[in-house]
Amino acid sequence: MGLAKSFAAVRALVDFDLGIAAGEVHAVLGENGSGKSTLIKLLSGFHQPDAGRVELDGARLDLGSTTGAYDMGCRFVHQDLGLIGSLSIVDNLGLSTGFPTRLATVRDRDARRQAGEDLRKVGLDLDPRMLVDRLSPAQRTGVAVARAMREDPAAPEKVLVLDEPTATLPAHEVDHLLRMVKRAANNGVAVLYVSHRLDEVFRIADNVTVLRDGVKLTTTPVEGLDRRELVNLMIGAESELPEARVGPSAAAAGPPVLKVTGLSSGPLEDVAFAAASGEIVGIAGITGSGRDLLLGAVFGKRARDSGTVEIGGVDIPSRRPDRAIANGVAYLPADRLQDSGVMTMTARENITLADLKPFQRAGSLSRRRERKEAGRLFRELSVRPRDAVEQTLETFSGGNQQKVLFGKWLRLRPSVFLLDEPTQGVDVGARASLHQLLVSAAAEGMAVVISSSDVDELAFVCHRVLIMQEGRIAHELAGDGVSVAGISRGTLGTSEGGSSNDA
Amino acid sequence: MTLDGGRLNFGFDRFSGLYLWALFIIVFGILKPSTFLTLDTAHSVASQQAISAMLGLALIVPLAAGVYDLSIGATANLAAVTAAWLQTNHGMPILPAIAISILAGVAIGIVNGFVTVVLGVNPFIATLGMATIVSAVQNIVSGQEQPLPPTAPFWSKLTQHQVFGFQIVVLYLVVLAVILWWVLDHTPAGRYLYAVGGNSDAARLSGVRTQRWVWLSLIASGGVSALAGVLFCSLSGPSLTFGPALLLPAFAAAFLGSTQLKPGRFNVWGTLLAVYILATGVRGMELLTSVSWLNDMFNGVALIAAVAFAVWRQDRVRHPRFGDAAPDDTAPGHGDPGSGEPSLAASPRTDPGASS
Repeated sequence: MGLAKSFAAVRALVDFDLGIAAGEVHAVLGENGSGKSTLIKLLSGFHQPDAGRVELDGARLDLGSTTGAYDMGCRFVHQDLGLIGSLSIVDNLGLSTGFPTRLATVRDRDARRQAGEDLRKVGLDLDPRMLVDRLSPAQRTGVAVARAMREDPAAPEKVLVLDEPTATLPAHEVDHLLRMVKRAANNGVAVLYVSHRLDEVFRIADNVTVLRDGVKLTTTPVEGLDRRELVNLMIGAESELPEARVGPSAAAAGPPVLKVTGLSSGPLEDVAFAAASGEIVGIAGITGSGRDLLLGAVFGKRARDSGTVEIGGVDIPSRRPDRAIANGVAYLPADRLQDSGVMTMTARENITLADLKPFQRAGSLSRRRERKEAGRLFRELSVRPRDAVEQTLETFSGGNQQKVLFGKWLRLRPSVFLLDEPTQGVDVGARASLHQLLVSAAAEGMAVVISSSDVDELAFVCHRVLIMQEGRIAHELAGDGVSVAGISRGTLGTSEGGSSNDA
Repeated sequence: MTLDGGRLNFGFDRFSGLYLWALFIIVFGILKPSTFLTLDTAHSVASQQAISAMLGLALIVPLAAGVYDLSIGATANLAAVTAAWLQTNHGMPILPAIAISILAGVAIGIVNGFVTVVLGVNPFIATLGMATIVSAVQNIVSGQEQPLPPTAPFWSKLTQHQVFGFQIVVLYLVVLAVILWWVLDHTPAGRYLYAVGGNSDAARLSGVRTQRWVWLSLIASGGVSALAGVLFCSLSGPSLTFGPALLLPAFAAAFLGSTQLKPGRFNVWGTLLAVYILATGVRGMELLTSVSWLNDMFNGVALIAAVAFAVWRQDRVRHPRFGDAAPDDTAPGHGDPGSGEPSLAASPRTDPGASS
């Protein structure tokens, strides 16, 4: 059995080709944005490739159709698992492979028994009638795996694709999952295994393909490969460091303005850090490390289970963004559409929303003054189209939306500015100017904290980088230690002694 | 409704209702000049629709915040019956009777808010249940018998007094509209309501106390609809069934209104415009054909057409944005301020609280 594909999806994935044999576990490694997800979305029929094809046992796979991939024997465990939370485990399993029926009626008992068997096969002892919502993240992963490994005589499994399946799993369940993957391969299934975690790759993969910036760098057998070599391959050689850093190497750090102690919230455990006025602090970490949750928990977007957040000595309660803002904190969420912009309101209204007091006179808002302020920010941040302050936010491009939302918070002159993925989905030009803004804001005394999956970005602007692993801050890099290679090594758990996968 | 409206240009889109209204007046004016095109018709349509319009206005406050209030009709009815019952059966003077009736509406709003915000029940369900409960309470109060209308001469003068040929209730409507317009368009409260309705998560993360505004909006709709009910009672008597019948027209007006003047936003003047477009059409058709089902038919069609139109507009505005590869500094070709549609058009919003 052979599998070959060559796509030419612009930038996301360029002229990629790969062959996997039956019974092989093939790992795909790469940093965020290297094209791994694109690859999987192409295979599963989510995206249509611009060019190229996939062959399975000599037959051409119908790309761009999810059922086509299924019928040809491809099974997927997606990163977000793709389960329906409000349905039971039985129903989730049945949705893809069908239910046993008689006279067009689902035979519940058979379906349940079968689901129970499927679950036991992956080592889960759960009542199949449970709702997926009630399961722990690890159990959900198990259900998704059970679904992928389920036998379907009509379309026997030939290819199993797993996208970061261990992101939410504790160590001992990782072992179990890896054993199952191995067993599937031994049964003649071709496995494509995508992960950030090097040790897993070393444990189960026969071959590894490394992606960077959408380009396949190499495919080599795992045997005899050195861990450090692999990391260097993933992140690129040291010589490829990006442009000189914008920030001054050592912060003329003032007193700490933000102090977080003992913060726990969901997967976050006992996180403590501080940020001083004039300092840019980065938060790095792989998917599942809790990086993407930390700033939300600090600001009050998510509830905190315990811990305190102090701004200039004032305690900020959990889930009270208004109190945080009143005490000089600004927070730019990662998801523009969901959490950040009110797309149906105008740019002006978005800019002034967080604080309307300056525009108020005798209870009425002065639109003229709002417009003046919005216009000033449009010019300062060179938002395009120029002076379109009365257009709704949704009519702007992604980069300009982000500039408008930057303006919204910068206007408040916060003492602490928290940003999640500040330049995600933003083009290069806008990205550079947003970085410049952050640097000058810090120079004026703001404490800036950036959480980002973009290592280049962190290395570029941060004075200090905190590296998260499994819900905790595992390392801290400062001064010259802040580099693309340093951060990448840290997040992959290979910096200090490389032993970070202990439970 | 405005099928050929949007495509031509922006002005025609936004003001399509005005054109339609003018069209109604001209067509019916030509067909029935002696009965339709009279001052009397204008006066009677204006005051007949005043209560509907007030309910429409009551409704746009929670709608602005993205929350349905299906209890406004029942609330108005309860207030009307209470006002009459307090005066006729308990000899209460007019002003305290009115005050108590309106407070009843405010109390209903408070409970609606509690169920929505604290218990986390979807407002659609919460207020639907509340509407039924309120009807039951009305039955308890009235004993299923229509109370006699109060006899004090001032009671009917309260709404029927003539000002420039119009009944004074029309003036109340204008005053109410101006107040709500000021609140929604010119105060932080209005801005917060629209922000909550536009994107509750983003509003909360901008420091807006979203739950408080949802709660307040339901209190406002309860109070205003009770006021409308009291005025209805003074105008037409304490009917036991008028309220629920006015619910759908209020929704039709609010949604049709949200496609007018400030498209994409529930707005005061658009709502009033919608009420009177529909009323003019109905009156004209009635004079022409003298059938009785027109009112319901018109309102039903208008509600669906308005929402369909809004959804279509929204698609038209949003679609180009998905091709996000568009170069950063080109102006989006579809220069259309006030675009997107309240999330309501497609689906009821869920509880503003719990997000993980």
